[in-house]
Amino acid sequence: MRIEKCYFCSGPVYPGHGVMFVRNDCKTFRFCKSKCHKNFKKKRNPRKTRWTKAFRKASGKELTVDNSLEFEKRRNIPVKYNRELWDKTVEAMKKVNEIKHKRQARFIMNRLKKGKELEKEEAISEVKKNIHLIKAPHAGKAKQLEDKMVQKLQEDVDMREEDE
Amino acid sequence: MALYNFKKIMVVPTAKDFIDVTLSKTQRKTPTVVHKHYQIHRIRHFYMRKVKFTQQNYHDRLTQILADFPKLDDIHPFYADLMNVLYDKDHYKLALGQLNIAKNLIDNLEYLEQVRQHLSRLPSIDPNTRTLLLCGYPNVGKSSFINKVTRADVDVQPYAFTTKSLFVGHMDYRYLRWQVVDTPGILDHPLEERNTIEMQAITALAHLRAAVLYVMDVSEQCGHTLQEQLELFNSIRPLFANKPLIIVANKCDVKKISELSEENQACDQLLAHRVNTKMKGKKVHDVLNRLHLAMPAKRDEKERPPFIPEGAMMRRKAMEVDAPKRKLERDLELELGDDYILDLQKYWDLMNEDEKRDKIPEVWEGHNIADFIDPGIMKKLEELEKEEELKERAGEYDSDEESEDEEMQEIRILAKQIREKKQLKVLESKEKDVHGPRMPRTATKVERKRLEKEMGNLGLDMDDKDDSHYAQQARRSRSVAKKRKREASAPPTSRTRSQSASRPPRDQSGLRDAKMAKKTKKMMKKSQKDMNRQGKKGEADRHVFDLKPKHLLAGKRKSGTTDRR
Repeated sequence: MRIEKCYFCSGPVYPGHGVMFVRNDCKTFRFCKSKCHKNFKKKRNPRKTRWTKAFRKASGKELTVDNSLEFEKRRNIPVKYNRELWDKTVEAMKKVNEIKHKRQARFIMNRLKKGKELEKEEAISEVKKNIHLIKAPHAGKAKQLEDKMVQKLQEDVDMREEDE
Repeated sequence: MALYNFKKIMVVPTAKDFIDVTLSKTQRKTPTVVHKHYQIHRIRHFYMRKVKFTQQNYHDRLTQILADFPKLDDIHPFYADLMNVLYDKDHYKLALGQLNIAKNLIDNLEYLEQVRQHLSRLPSIDPNTRTLLLCGYPNVGKSSFINKVTRADVDVQPYAFTTKSLFVGHMDYRYLRWQVVDTPGILDHPLEERNTIEMQAITALAHLRAAVLYVMDVSEQCGHTLQEQLELFNSIRPLFANKPLIIVANKCDVKKISELSEENQACDQLLAHRVNTKMKGKKVHDVLNRLHLAMPAKRDEKERPPFIPEGAMMRRKAMEVDAPKRKLERDLELELGDDYILDLQKYWDLMNEDEKRDKIPEVWEGHNIADFIDPGIMKKLEELEKEEELKERAGEYDSDEESEDEEMQEIRILAKQIREKKQLKVLESKEKDVHGPRMPRTATKVERKRLEKEMGNLGLDMDDKDDSHYAQQARRSRSVAKKRKREASAPPTSRTRSQSASRPPRDQSGLRDAKMAKKTKKMMKKSQKDMNRQGKKGEADRHVFDLKPKHLLAGKRKSGTTDRR
């Protein structure tokens, strides 16, 4: 039993699901659902269809070259069953998976950092331009003036007292 | 005396017409379709029925004709003489006689059909090729012998006359095909008293040029003593003339006597006999001058024996010794019977013997484990982990929550507020009802409350603004407006007032007390609720605003299905 890959969206095709198409040149295409199958029949290129994994990898939205991705690969040389090897492999697989997820997440986060910068700048420019919508230009000015005047008067009084 | 009606004699059709009519009637009246998968007796019955029907038809028609035509002896002599004169008595009688014969002849159709069916099922015995013929008393073991030696599957049962007809099997010896013919048993009585089953055996014996294997049952299990069997042998001896004869002592596992013959001897004897007869025949001479045996002349004294490869020698030796066969899976299955379980994993060739029955995991969380299997995986994993450590140390995985200074946070808050305010403004302008021409902002009157509230929200200080300019202006205009209002709403003249006063308003007419009024109002509201909710003008409004709602019919196809479109 194997979990295959859908030709169009690169999703998992579990046993008992999906459709397999065999072309005259003996190349087989598996599809996980009729959406992928119909798109294929419409001759759409998965590398240009935005929601597929193929597009994401081809346009650099996801991690493509990494050591942790080299572990899961279909090898054509059969290896005789050895309990020790399988046990170790199962454990190793779990660890590799963790590392892979971490790296993939990191990659995407880095890609999105630029957006944060842009956001910051946008906020600054917004505030500069449209502050009048939430705060009148001389909002606290009256109070300020008053305070200033009070302060000045106070100073005057102090000075006069000093003089006297 | 039979009454004849000359006017109503049946039409005598021509031969061709007669046949056509009957056959077409058969086609129409009997079932026409038969399939290969029907049971054989049904197929036979189908054909028999057609034949019978045809026969019946012919018979009936001919009988009718014969009955209709008057017999010259039965009718009035006047008519008899008249007919003699006109048609010739002899010719007439002859014609009717022949028709009668034809009628009788047709009755054989059914019999012939049955013969045909049985004939096709007779075994195909080639009378000219090499044959071994088994004969003897019933139940001596002739059918068992043929079952063992050939691929035939003849019925073997404990009762006598199990085999009721001849059976043929084929076997190979010395690269030649041999026929083995099994006969029904023969009992010892004279030829005239033999029944059809025994006669088949006798016929085979009489005509087939074969080696005869006379099978005797030494254990007397067949129910006849050795003496009786010997007597039978003597009585049919004349039939064995000119044929190689082997006497087979069968069932010697029950009663031990050294076996007199083996099959090899029988075949060899027959071959020799056949060659001899051929040599004696005339045809041989034609062939002999074409045959020439070439012997190579000796070049030198070196011995050149025939070369047999080693493998062939080994195999020959193994065949001769009859090496003990290894225990097959089939033998194991028969041994264990019901408990048998097919366990192919025991044949696997692994490094550790005790791992053969392991349950191997195949899938984990959507990944195939077999894709990870690699003898060098542990090394790779170590390298990867080292890399990972280095990366962590280099600080790649630190969460970058930049500690933003307070100023930046304030700016963000303000930006958010600005955005909200903008959205509100947009919504407001959408909700605006524009009746009539667009007036400038100054034409609309702004309430003082509203002005003060808005300005307060913007941060200006709006308490104690009674003596501000706008408030004073408002007071001045208020009095004028109020006065005008009061004038506009002058009460109507006495006449209209009295009329309207005498008639109770519609929502109070017919109601006795407050309780009833309340209930009525409730009922009214209830009946209007649904209509209002659906935005209908009234009860009669059945207008559908949206026959093809967009949210059901448009949009991209996500991970779901399209069968509800």
